[in-house]
Amino acid sequence: MTVQTERPPSGPADVRKTAGAGEPGGPTPRAASRAGAFAPYLLLLPACAATVLLLGWPLLKDVLLSFQNLNMAQLIQHVTEWNGVDNYKDVLTGEDFWRVTLRSILFTAANVVLIMILGALVGLLLARLGRRMRVTLLVGLVLAWAMPVVAATTVYQWLFAQRFGVVNWVLDKLGWHSMADYSWTSSQLSTFFVVTVLIVWQSIPFVAINLYAATTTIPDELYEAAALDGAGAWQSFTTVTLPFLRPFLYATTFLEIIWVFKAFVQVFTINGGGPDRLTEILPVYAYIEGVGNQHYGMGAAIAVLTILILLVISAYYLRIVLKQENEEEAGL
Amino acid sequence: MKRKLISAIGIAGMMVSIAACGGGEDTNDKAGADGYAGQTLTVWVMDGSSPDQWQKDVTAAFEKKTKAKVKFEIQQWNGIQQKLTTALSEENPPDVFEIGNTQTPAYAKTGGLADLAGLKSEIGADWTDSLNNSSVFDGKQYAAPWYFANRVVIYNKKVWADAGIKELPKTRDEFYADLKQIGEKTDAEPIYLPGQNWYHFVGLTVGEGTELVKKDGDKYVSNLADPKVAAAMQTYKKFQALSKAPKDKDESTPQQSEVFAKGRTGAFIGMGWEAGTAIQANPEIEKEIGYFTIPGATADKPEGVFLGGSNLAVAAGSKKQELAQEFLKIALSDQFEGQLAKLNGVIPNKESLQTNLTGNAAAEAAAPAAAGGGTTPLIPEWAAVENAPNPIKTYMTAVLNGKSPAAAAEQVEDEFNKRLAQQQ
Repeated sequence: MTVQTERPPSGPADVRKTAGAGEPGGPTPRAASRAGAFAPYLLLLPACAATVLLLGWPLLKDVLLSFQNLNMAQLIQHVTEWNGVDNYKDVLTGEDFWRVTLRSILFTAANVVLIMILGALVGLLLARLGRRMRVTLLVGLVLAWAMPVVAATTVYQWLFAQRFGVVNWVLDKLGWHSMADYSWTSSQLSTFFVVTVLIVWQSIPFVAINLYAATTTIPDELYEAAALDGAGAWQSFTTVTLPFLRPFLYATTFLEIIWVFKAFVQVFTINGGGPDRLTEILPVYAYIEGVGNQHYGMGAAIAVLTILILLVISAYYLRIVLKQENEEEAGL
Repeated sequence: MKRKLISAIGIAGMMVSIAACGGGEDTNDKAGADGYAGQTLTVWVMDGSSPDQWQKDVTAAFEKKTKAKVKFEIQQWNGIQQKLTTALSEENPPDVFEIGNTQTPAYAKTGGLADLAGLKSEIGADWTDSLNNSSVFDGKQYAAPWYFANRVVIYNKKVWADAGIKELPKTRDEFYADLKQIGEKTDAEPIYLPGQNWYHFVGLTVGEGTELVKKDGDKYVSNLADPKVAAAMQTYKKFQALSKAPKDKDESTPQQSEVFAKGRTGAFIGMGWEAGTAIQANPEIEKEIGYFTIPGATADKPEGVFLGGSNLAVAAGSKKQELAQEFLKIALSDQFEGQLAKLNGVIPNKESLQTNLTGNAAAEAAAPAAAGGGTTPLIPEWAAVENAPNPIKTYMTAVLNGKSPAAAAEQVEDEFNKRLAQQQ
């Protein structure tokens, strides 16, 4: 990938420098280079430790919980009741889990497609705008992006409130009088509509700014060359812009899938997975079964399965990205 | 000789203090020479259940008697079970906490509540039996009855006068006709009744003479398909149609008393003390507030009501068992139990204290219905039903959105039965 070739020189280059400047009385060059060989690992240590501590440990706990019968009584009295794979058996044989899984995948797909199309369009728009408009748009995007998730969700709840929400007010003024007291949280589709608008709105800035950054790495000569060859706007887009953007598109799609798939806060805050449990996606389902219904072991099992599903989905994309990188390296 | 005696007393004194320390290590802090000075008792009470004045007076009496401090922490009903379960499992649970009567059996079964047999025999001899029922599980006393209440109609006198209504309704039909009249003659909302005020719905089922669950062998299953439940739901739906309140929200989102406080609402169905919340939101409304008993199908019998209530319990994991019981003795004493009844218009735990309710308009409106009130079944399995998303609420919203009661019952019955059968 183009950007990666521009990264600053890594470990070994530094080692050579220090070895060359070896002073008398200091460590011998050989010892210094051996210490230098450890340096990258040493530098990685804090990050690894933080990951293990903050992610690995809870994950391990979660896996352990998923093999336990842990309800109100067991939690309060601190008793551990191992029940083997019972939780998994219950979850996997019930139809709820599969229904929620399918819903999660469809929900993620719909959101990611919308995010990528709209985000890419805004990104390309950024690249073509004049300076002043570009800064204005960038500021707007960054503000939307910087807004904390819960705060944004609360604002959307107000916007779409049944009686005093501005959305219903505007629709009413525009002539849709039946919308004056419309309850957005009353049906599955309308709830998903609100959640999707919210998530897409929150995600566009990331994709747009990313792709805009990517377009700045495309050399102008390529466009000139394409123009000389008689390429129109569309052709120069498909032959010059798109090939450059492809790795970025893959990477952001990959990140957005993960982000949307685990969008617990938005879905749960807007309507608690309702109405009638019809908008529960996997993380919400895990929470409601686990914490809400106080079946902590069951909730843990669902969470573990959620992680596995996410791994499977993202493995596919990871493979594409890796394959493409290999091809590019071979091409160079 | 005298010296020996003095030293003997000294040694005895030291031994006592050592014993006291030993008691402390036995996860049970006992009173020292200076009472319980330096200790702080944490008490969880639900939002609105105990007025500031009561908390202040109880705190003063408690601190005077025990030298310890007390810290009241206000909790919300929504999501309280999850919060309570977590709190009880922790190192430092709240020492004393308020717990809903329908939730008490489940928590008693978990072993999270301390046995209060001693307290019962000391101060609870004349607790009203029917109110003490929910605190007893497997023959043991796991909580102390605190207060009970049923809902009334809280109305805005000005709105009713504007609509030209002279007399308060005595029957359900009159009530409906009055509300309709408000809708036609004023621009106020006749009644604020959100779709998921399920306590009122439970009351209506009690009025129909049925219950939400029935016994099937030795376990409980859904009784939503019962035509009487459907009749109760139809009554609810009829009144709900007069309200612009959301069909998929309960009475606390938004707080119905705060909607009422704006003065644009004819009436709502709520606890007497909710009027207080309304007055807090808008002091102007105070002179307009009136109360009456929810009218029943006929004039001679008021509507069925849900007998809500709360108990006070001590966490089994609390390290201040003795101090917690001291607190209960003060909070539940005739003086403060009477004060609570007076201030909030709630039914106290002893019949002898009911005189405190005379002159309290809300309590006087509630009293006629209390005799015909009922609760959800007092079984440990019930608590799981109240966890969000509560299938009863789902049922209500489904009917209000146009499903037939039978179809709505069928829709939620699987979930309802699953919860009733849940492994504890």
